[in-house]
Amino acid sequence: MIDRMKSSDVSRRELIQSAAFVPLAALLSSAQQTPQAALTPSQMKTLVAFIDRLIPSDELGPGAVASGVQIYIDRVLAGPNASEKDTFIQGLEAVDAYAKRAHGAPLAELSAEKRDQVLNEMIDSPFFNRARRLTLEGMFSDPYYGGNKNFAGWDLIRYPGPRPAVAAEDQAMNVDIKPYRVSAYGSKYGH
Amino acid sequence: MAINLKPVDVVVIGLGAAGGVAVLPLARAGLNVAGIEAGTWMDPHRDFHADEVYNNVRRLVSSSPKAQRECPTVRATPSQQARSAGVHPMMNAIGGTSIHYWAQSWRLKPWDFRTRSESIRRYGPNSIPAGSTLEDWPVTYDDLEPYYDIIEQEVGVSGKAGNIQGHIDSTGNVFEGPRQREYPMPPLRGAGFTDHMMDAARQLGWKPFRPPAAVNSQPYRGRNPCVFHGYCSAGGCHVGAKNSTATTTIPEGVRTKNLTIFDRAQVTRIITDANGRTTGVNYIRDRKEYFQPGKIVLLAGYTYENSRLLLLSKSKAYPNGLSNNHGQVGRHYFGHWISNVSALFPSDINVWYGLPAQGATVDEWADDSFDHAGLGFIGGASLHVYTERHPIDAAAMSTYGRAPLFGSAWKKFVHENAGRVASTYLQTNTFPYETTFLDLDTEVRDPLGDPVCRITSGGVRENEQRALQHAQNKMEQWFRAAGAIEVTKPPANGPGISTHAYGGTRMGANPETNVVDPWGFSHEAPNLGILGASVMGSSGARNPTLTLQALAWRTAEHLVKNWKSLAG
Repeated sequence: MIDRMKSSDVSRRELIQSAAFVPLAALLSSAQQTPQAALTPSQMKTLVAFIDRLIPSDELGPGAVASGVQIYIDRVLAGPNASEKDTFIQGLEAVDAYAKRAHGAPLAELSAEKRDQVLNEMIDSPFFNRARRLTLEGMFSDPYYGGNKNFAGWDLIRYPGPRPAVAAEDQAMNVDIKPYRVSAYGSKYGH
Repeated sequence: MAINLKPVDVVVIGLGAAGGVAVLPLARAGLNVAGIEAGTWMDPHRDFHADEVYNNVRRLVSSSPKAQRECPTVRATPSQQARSAGVHPMMNAIGGTSIHYWAQSWRLKPWDFRTRSESIRRYGPNSIPAGSTLEDWPVTYDDLEPYYDIIEQEVGVSGKAGNIQGHIDSTGNVFEGPRQREYPMPPLRGAGFTDHMMDAARQLGWKPFRPPAAVNSQPYRGRNPCVFHGYCSAGGCHVGAKNSTATTTIPEGVRTKNLTIFDRAQVTRIITDANGRTTGVNYIRDRKEYFQPGKIVLLAGYTYENSRLLLLSKSKAYPNGLSNNHGQVGRHYFGHWISNVSALFPSDINVWYGLPAQGATVDEWADDSFDHAGLGFIGGASLHVYTERHPIDAAAMSTYGRAPLFGSAWKKFVHENAGRVASTYLQTNTFPYETTFLDLDTEVRDPLGDPVCRITSGGVRENEQRALQHAQNKMEQWFRAAGAIEVTKPPANGPGISTHAYGGTRMGANPETNVVDPWGFSHEAPNLGILGASVMGSSGARNPTLTLQALAWRTAEHLVKNWKSLAG
């Protein structure tokens, strides 16, 4: 993540010519909606089969896939998280290889019960942790980033939403606050 | 060759929390000030958003490429290889880290300035932690009180006084030192949960209070009050209610027409002459290298950069780095010991909205507020519960062994419990030690080829560990009294890299053990002043910003009053 180099790698002149002192925000905010994909269709299939079990659709509402979490993950791996793209893909491929070895088929072809079993068997692995973390980011972030479609994630945890101004009564304990369902970036996101 | 610029009276390196206040008394006094800042202005509408990914996951308001490339390395002992300490929420911008800080604006206690002598007096010489280099500060609370008052007024701090000239008011902090007057604004309103925690603390016989914050609780000097929307932590304030130096003292300084800001300008060296006086600074801006001459240089970077820039600025007069002929630059460094004890409640506590400075604080178990006889440590920690919880963070909550980590059962668990978790901020009195220090890394360099700063953390600190564990137990007691059903206490460990980093250019009368004198000027280079928490010799059990700002104003005022002798 941190681009730290030996002195021989970069000359003073090159540094001076770089956009070294511009806030990260200015450099990166335009890259948030990059259309290019990080994952191949087959990798995407494995990811979908995985996150579908992390947060399944059920009587409590839409799951990760229906909420577009795979879109969030694909975008961040293509953009701001590109440095972890290769590691993440290796993890996805390792999950498939394990599913074949232990259960006779790639993850996407296993039943929901078998996929749950695979997830439980790898629950202590770094890949599980990372995939779960990115799934939570996609499910519960502002829908501007591609997940949390129809605010399903915020509804799930009963997050009341980013109101522009909050009254004292909206900070009382044990109250039902009317959900505020607008993206910080405007009403074109989220639906 | 560097391009020579027109000389100025004072060159200030860094327009963050410290440099950003020091420029104001200088500019008001009519001195010609050049403020040199590696970052630039941030625009509240373009750069600040109510967005957890933007603020807290990608840290787009709380870090910058320069700060990340210079991120210190860390090792426990000199025999180990130092490793990257990771991304650090240290900002280059006009306003610096005060753009995104929590804005908790505390005065230290009178005890913090005299911890060594007071501890020896009350508990004997063995109470001083083994291996520590703790000294009494060269200033007392009473010396600094007028400057605390100035900053509270100029920056704008909300709060409730607990001690006005000896008159105690238990709705404020009864443990604080005497103040000359009330805060300029009343405290931020409580939330349902923080009020509930205040009640629970009172049931325990404690004296909770709403803590001070550099956040407007009402309109202040033409600026807006807080809207409690819940995206303050690691974010900038889009309504301008969080009082960074970018919205307060720096614009005031600009209005005098005596402050010129050079933004996107990275200072690479402080230059000295054969007599050991500073002559100005070299910086890089827009692909060009400049020399900005000045009669006085005030170094006001973050703690790590202050030591690093001095160590990098070698010359004939200072072969081991500027102001380092006594080998004290980088010494007496320490990071603040901070801990989060979290709790799960049986019903909705609704802390989604608000801000970390909207809280309830208990000071019974900090500093020397209680008798330490037989406890085996000095100091303690302040206990602070607060509001503001974001959805990703909430969903990533512990399941406390009550649910699996995924699937429908997990969904049911977070549906019920994501809005029932409370976090805390426990800040421990932390001290300097002989084996904790900063120097230059021998391998890792920034893109200019300059070594990054290296932290040697120095191993186990039993005093701080015991003090923090004691406070964690008190925090658990508080949570249980409020009805928590689960309480999680993390291991009591010290920090690697820290947003509360102290020392490296400690202030003290003795030049053998301190870099700057009691006024903040170098013991060796008479026209070099140093600002920031890098001059502080102990942390107190609370956030450093108000104290380092009071010290910065005091140093600037001293400079104005003694201009002829200091500027030469």
